[in-house]
Formats: sequence, C-alpha cells, structure tokens
Amino acid sequence: MKVSYFETGRYVTPPDLPREWPVPGGSYDPETGAEAYRGMVERVRFVEELGFDWVSLSEHHYSPRILTPSPVVSAAYLAARIDKIKIAMLGPIVPVSNPIRVAEEIAMLDTMAPGRIVVGLLRGTTNEYLSYDLNPKESRERTDEGMELILKAWTEPQPFGWQGRYFQYRTVSVWPRPQSQPHPPTYALGTSAEAGEFAARHRLGIGLSYGTFELMAKSAHYYREQCARYGWEPGPDDIIYRANMILAETDDAAEEALRRRDKQAPFPIRGGLRDALLQSDTTRNIAGERRPANVGGVLPISFCGGPDRVVEQLRRCREEVGAGVVDLSLQDPGTGNLDGMMRALELFGKKVLPRIREI
Amino acid sequence: MSKKGRIVAQIEDGMKSQPSGAAFREGLVEADGFRIRYMEAGQGTPLVHLHGAGGMRLTPGYDLLCRHHRVVAFEMPGFGSSPENTRTRTMAELAATMAMAVRDLGIDKFNLMGTSFGAKVALWLAVQRPERVEALVLEAPAAIGPAGSEPSSGSPEEMARRLYAHPERLAPLPVPDLAIQAKTRALVARLRGPDRDADLETQMHRLPTPTLVLFGTLDHVIPPEMGRFYRELLPNCHLVFVYDAGHAISTERPEAFAEVTVDFLERREAFVVSRTETVIHP
Repeated sequence: MKVSYFETGRYVTPPDLPREWPVPGGSYDPETGAEAYRGMVERVRFVEELGFDWVSLSEHHYSPRILTPSPVVSAAYLAARIDKIKIAMLGPIVPVSNPIRVAEEIAMLDTMAPGRIVVGLLRGTTNEYLSYDLNPKESRERTDEGMELILKAWTEPQPFGWQGRYFQYRTVSVWPRPQSQPHPPTYALGTSAEAGEFAARHRLGIGLSYGTFELMAKSAHYYREQCARYGWEPGPDDIIYRANMILAETDDAAEEALRRRDKQAPFPIRGGLRDALLQSDTTRNIAGERRPANVGGVLPISFCGGPDRVVEQLRRCREEVGAGVVDLSLQDPGTGNLDGMMRALELFGKKVLPRIREI
Repeated sequence: MSKKGRIVAQIEDGMKSQPSGAAFREGLVEADGFRIRYMEAGQGTPLVHLHGAGGMRLTPGYDLLCRHHRVVAFEMPGFGSSPENTRTRTMAELAATMAMAVRDLGIDKFNLMGTSFGAKVALWLAVQRPERVEALVLEAPAAIGPAGSEPSSGSPEEMARRLYAHPERLAPLPVPDLAIQAKTRALVARLRGPDRDADLETQMHRLPTPTLVLFGTLDHVIPPEMGRFYRELLPNCHLVFVYDAGHAISTERPEAFAEVTVDFLERREAFVVSRTETVIHP
C-alpha cells in the first residue's frame, strides 16, 4: 500500500473567526497565511522523511479551512523545495477551469519535476460552484468534456480545434508537452458512474473519498467492471482512497480524540442557500445509485485507533475497496492543532507505515 | 469561443418538427454518361456534398447548412436507387464524373464537402480541379485509414453502434435494401483503394485549398487520431474535433457541425479568430 499525506495549507484560525462559507476576506491575517505556507514545506519535508509516498493537494476557495485555491501553484511551490516525494494534485476543479490552461500548467509541472507529478481531475464539491459562478446543473457534463479536452491537449500532436458542448476552441497546441508519456499518472476523482466509466475508457485511475468502505467498494467495483469492458485490469495503484484518520498511541486515546472532535463542516453553508444548492446539484451518485450532494456537511472519520487497529482497518480498506493508495488527513482540515497532527504523522510513519507496505 | 446563437435559434424556429431533408428538392443531371440524382435546398454560395459509403442521407446537419448555402447533395453513380455502376474503376474517375455533374448544373466554383468515403472522392476532385473548389470540408474522412480497416457492415443495430457515439439517443437506422447493399458494397470495395494512397497523398501536399477536417471524438469507424495526417499532408488544413460525436457527426451533433462548417466556409482561415462578444450590459 502507498500512503499520501493530504496537505491543506494549515491556516491556524482564531476562535472568533466566522465559520460560514464564504469566509470574509477582511478577516484574513497575512502573517498567519505566510506561516501556513512556510509550514506546508516543513510538513511535507517531515512526511517525506517518514517515508510517505505522496503529498496531495486540493482546490478550495474562499476559506481558511483549506488554503489552496490553486493546486498548481501549491505543487510548483513544493516541487521547487522538496526533492523526492510525489506531488498529487487532487486536483483541479475541471468544470470551473479552462481545460487548456490546466493541460499547460500540468505539462509545465511534469517537466519541471519529472516523474513526480500525479494528477486528479474532478468535478468539485457543490459549494465551489459558487466560487466562479458555475451552474451546478452543468457541472457533470462540463467535467466530462473538460477532462476529455485535457487528455486530448496533452496527446494530440497537431494543432486542433475543439467543437464541444461547453468548451469551444479553434486553436489548441500546448507547449510544453508532458514529460511523462503519454501524460503523468492521472485519476478521475469521484464515486459516480460517470467518473468510473471515464477513467476506464481512458485507462486512468480512480479516486474515491470519505465514504464508508462498503459504499466505496461499490464505486471501485463499478470502475473495475468498466475497465473489463474496455479490455484492461486496473492495479492497486489505480485506486486512491482519501479519508480522515484519528491515530493515537492506544485505541482508547483515539476514541477519546474522536469524542472530543470538533464536528464542524469544513465549509458550512446556511439554510436557504444550502437548500438551493441541494436542489440544483442533483446528479450525484455512487456507481449509478443516486445520492444527495454533500453541501456544508461534516466529513466522517474512516480510520480510528491505535497503530494495531489502524493497520487492521487499512488492511480491510485494501481488501474491500481495493485501494492501493490511501490519502490521509490525520487531523480534520481546518483544525489548528498542528502539534497533535505532527505527532500523529510521526506515529503513523513509525508504527503504521512499515506494516502496511506489503498489504 | 465561437458564435453559435444564430444557428441554434433557427433550429428552434420549428425545423425540429420536420423530418431531415424536408426542405430539399430532387433533381437529375446527365453527366459523363450517368444519370445522377441530387437533392438541393437553400440559397447562396453553392456547397456540393458527396456522401459516405452507405449512400446519400440528408441529416439534420444539412437542414442547417441549407439556411446559409445552396446545398447540392449528390447520389453518386452506383449508390442508392441508381443503376449498378460497373464502369467507374477508381476514386479519381468517380471524382472526375462528379466534377462534370457539378458543371452540368451550371456551377463553376463551389465549396465541397465529403463525408467518410465521399471525403476521399472530394479530395480527389479538389486535387483534379483546385481552381473550382473554393473550400473543402471533410466530415469524418476515410481517405486515410489505419492499417487493415474494414468498411462498416452488419445489422442496423450493429451499424448504429459503429456509426453513432450514442445510438440510444437516435431513431433506429432503417432496415437496408439488400439488393442496394450488395451493389454498393461491391462498388465501394472496388473503389476505396488502399488505406494510405501514395498517389493521392503526394497531390494533397500541393493542394492549397482551405480545408476543414472534422472528426467526432467517439468515431468508432475511423479513429479520430487519423485527423492529424490531414494536417500533416495538406498545407492549409484545420482539424476540429467534435466532442461526443461518433462517425455520423452531422446526425449526432447537427448544430455543432453546422456552426463550425458555416463559420469556416464564410471566413476560411480567419474562422480561428473569435467573434464572440463577452461584454455584459454595455
């Protein structure tokens, strides 16, 4: 099993900071922000030394809870400062992006940090459609088309035009091309049937997140079925599972931390707006089975315990979901307990990581 | 970005309620010893169409084109209801016949569009008569094939799965007339030539005609990757991928097909310059 550390640009929030999304920009403190990014480098160096395989980065907007609106900028910053660890952008929110720009920037990164860039392309959480004014009803199809265009921009050797449904370009011919051929390792992120089919058709991996093992196993199963239909079989590295973990020296200490957990949503959204988003983002599904969108919800803890129990849970995750890469937060994003997180990372590196390599 | 409002608005004008090709009138022209049937609609600069190996089929895309052009869609000798054609030996000969048919309609200079098999005829016609062809549009062209490619065949359901990206969204293909099918297959097999035709490709290098090559991103008959060869061979070629369309682009995405085609025919190379206006509340 490979392990990825989910780095969110830990901005330590003062207790009186408004929680509701979007968080007012006027509350931002420049020194705290600078410290968040300095700390990003320290944390990634630390997990690299502990033997983590990847650091992962995401795209979220208008909030201190995850302070990385641009995963590409985050990746460039880390790639220039840290030598070995793979940098997984999980990932650019495709439906709000210019797909050509995404293709170009990732090709740049893949050339600047050859062999170290991993790409996840995704539809994004519902609140992010407010960031750049995307009609939620268009998000699914814009994602599928945008991903297709990114892959084409990386691989088509001749200048071309794109007569899409949502994207139209008459002239596309990206330089640089990706250093990895045909492109860096790429995942379609999402539990939906659409993501599974797309990943299978293009021989990409899949990234699942935050659901129970049982539900994620459904998505993974659907993905494998689609891969078989397209005549190939994915390996363990083709399935990423992103989740929260509470790890302590003992099971009791971990349970206690779970009880004390600040059960706040990372991006809380109020009643009327929440309802409006839920009503317009209606195509969410797990392997084709309709699910409501998660708007302003609390994310679950998937792994909790001392090292022995967590190793056992990871083994189950490997067996049931089939994930060969786990992408972990050892503290909820947005919580300020950095010392606790560093202790948990160290414990994971020393007591868990060596025991899951052969899983 | 491009302007697509004009054509979409026209479709909403009520064209959807009519079957494809309703605006077209049938005609016959004598040329090169053949009686050649054609369908014609629209006003404006002439746009001659040469069909694919399955014969002439007026798709929703052509209904849109004839709002901007005088569209003349020919049924090439030996296809459809025309008598069996045992005389034509090569694509070059068929192209010469079709050039005569266009002239006999009183059309000297014209835009030329070919679909699949018809795109190879169109290329031959353009290299033979470059002074007459003002612009060329190749829809899912079959002039260059991957090694060992086979023409489409099978039941209507199998054909639909090959021709369309999303057969479930379209009306079923008609059950073919077996006599027409047998006659046409023999003709196509005789004429289609090699997957890479060195003679044609040599001449393509010298063809200055502005050319638009369209491939559906989900073409199951000819891989869209073949598009790059046209870019390499033709000195003035634009390759455009039509997202989420199969081989039958003008059936599956008629508005997208017509918008890029009309824009190209109007502006040629300049069609890459955006005219989309983004100003809000000026």
